[in-house]
Amino acid sequence: MTRRFAALVGKELRVAFNTPVAYAVIAGFLLFTSVRLFVARDFFNLDIASLRDYYGVMPLVFVVLIPAITMRSWAEERRGGTDEILLTLPVSERQLVGAKFVASLTLVLLALSLTGFVPLLVTRFGDFERGEIVGQYLGLTLLATASVAIGQLVSSLARNQLSAFVFAALVLLFLTGAGSFASAAVVPDRLASALSYLSLETHYRSFNRGVADTRDVSYFVAITGLALVLNTCVLLARKAR
Amino acid sequence: MIEARGISRRYGPLLAVDRVSFAVRPGEVVGLLGPNGAGKTTIMKVLTGYHYPHEGSALVAGHDVVAEALPAREALGYLPENAPVYPDLTVSEYLRFVAGARGVAAARTRGAIDEVVERCGLQSVLHRPVRELSRGFRQRVGIAQALVHDPSVVVLDEPTSGLDPNQIQSVRRIVRDLGATRSVLLSTHLLPEVEAVCDRVLILDRGRLVAEGTPREIGDELEGRRVVVLTLHAPPDGPARTALAPIADLLSERREGDAWVGRLALGRARGGEDLFDWAVACGARIRALEPERLSLEDVFARLTAGST
Repeated sequence: MTRRFAALVGKELRVAFNTPVAYAVIAGFLLFTSVRLFVARDFFNLDIASLRDYYGVMPLVFVVLIPAITMRSWAEERRGGTDEILLTLPVSERQLVGAKFVASLTLVLLALSLTGFVPLLVTRFGDFERGEIVGQYLGLTLLATASVAIGQLVSSLARNQLSAFVFAALVLLFLTGAGSFASAAVVPDRLASALSYLSLETHYRSFNRGVADTRDVSYFVAITGLALVLNTCVLLARKAR
Repeated sequence: MIEARGISRRYGPLLAVDRVSFAVRPGEVVGLLGPNGAGKTTIMKVLTGYHYPHEGSALVAGHDVVAEALPAREALGYLPENAPVYPDLTVSEYLRFVAGARGVAAARTRGAIDEVVERCGLQSVLHRPVRELSRGFRQRVGIAQALVHDPSVVVLDEPTSGLDPNQIQSVRRIVRDLGATRSVLLSTHLLPEVEAVCDRVLILDRGRLVAEGTPREIGDELEGRRVVVLTLHAPPDGPARTALAPIADLLSERREGDAWVGRLALGRARGGEDLFDWAVACGARIRALEPERLSLEDVFARLTAGST
């Protein structure tokens, strides 16, 4: 990582941690997912030695968590006029996009890694399959990567944080639910398979069972790459507009 | 060195900048002057690479701002309009970030920051979040940010807007200092500012460059001839007035006690000597002869009449 890139990432993280928002979002995420597992689901009385239920709900939780982290990414820079500082730095647009992406992903992965207390806590009480948990974290990391790239792209198109949040949540909700719409079988087969292929959640499903499929990995990598390239194009198009 | 070569920039159907060319040499402070909407900010956005020009090209330190964007931006320090800042960073965090992103070596960062903090008078607020700072301090943080990497070209969009008179003086001092060795381009709608700090003025109106030169040259160019105020001990008589006609036009006259004061526009290739000769020839006694310089306000009003 070059010094310039490190400075850009450092600035994003500093802005995030100098305000209470990042702490609140991460705390809210941990609180919601834990309460759901241990209180609503009453996990310890279920007598199941698997966390599929806990990690299986993450794609839906990410629909809110990730836009909350990425909403300010570009939208807040534009609102405050600081994009003019950023875009006139001697740094390429690709690096600017990359730095924001790395910073937001760092926050999401920090939140995700803090959920590690759940497996650390429960695996003592039963015969959990370690491979499955590794697969779940790998899948969620990939899912988070693609979702952060999408959220950041939406933020670059939005006028303010609120609309960045709402539109990113809608896009992620659609991409997460697309597979379920398809299996509801009210759509033609062709469309159903297209929706199912497009769905973030469909590609996470096998990871949640502890199976890593290279096709799923390449899907997440492709979505991430596409969103970041489009984000760079948005910046360049705005300069030329 | 800044060179703008016929740059044009549209926003949708609006032509914001229309084929503007100029240069800012090292050791020169050039002011962009014009009413709101004249294209000052757009020109700066093009020079700093925030917007691409639709026609023409611009060079900063010899690098094309589009084709060689990174080396061009490397040489540049920029204070955007309204001095945007990150409210959630402290002054020191912000300057550290900008220094890093502009490639100031780690070992030199501390010294570079100390220097701009000193120059811009930010010692007392160094560790305060920018959101708590007054408008004047924010503006100075914006200037410090533009200078932290010791750029050879400095572009400042309305550097004194929103400041109180003391702060204006201190910013002007900074700008004059910078102009000793660097190419400095600033925009303003304050006429005294141009006269106080600029070596040269570019006057813009509706996207076009309508005049360029020192404030004095612009005045001459506009007027086309020089205006003098002549004071005589007594009003000139009829024949004297007739003899004056080929030398100068009498624009206005008034009495001051016994004395007579006339504003005269000298004819082409006529000078004060011709007036002395005339006075001697017709027996008038000159009490005073003063050149009248058009104020920049006059120039500005004439050039931009009808645009607002």
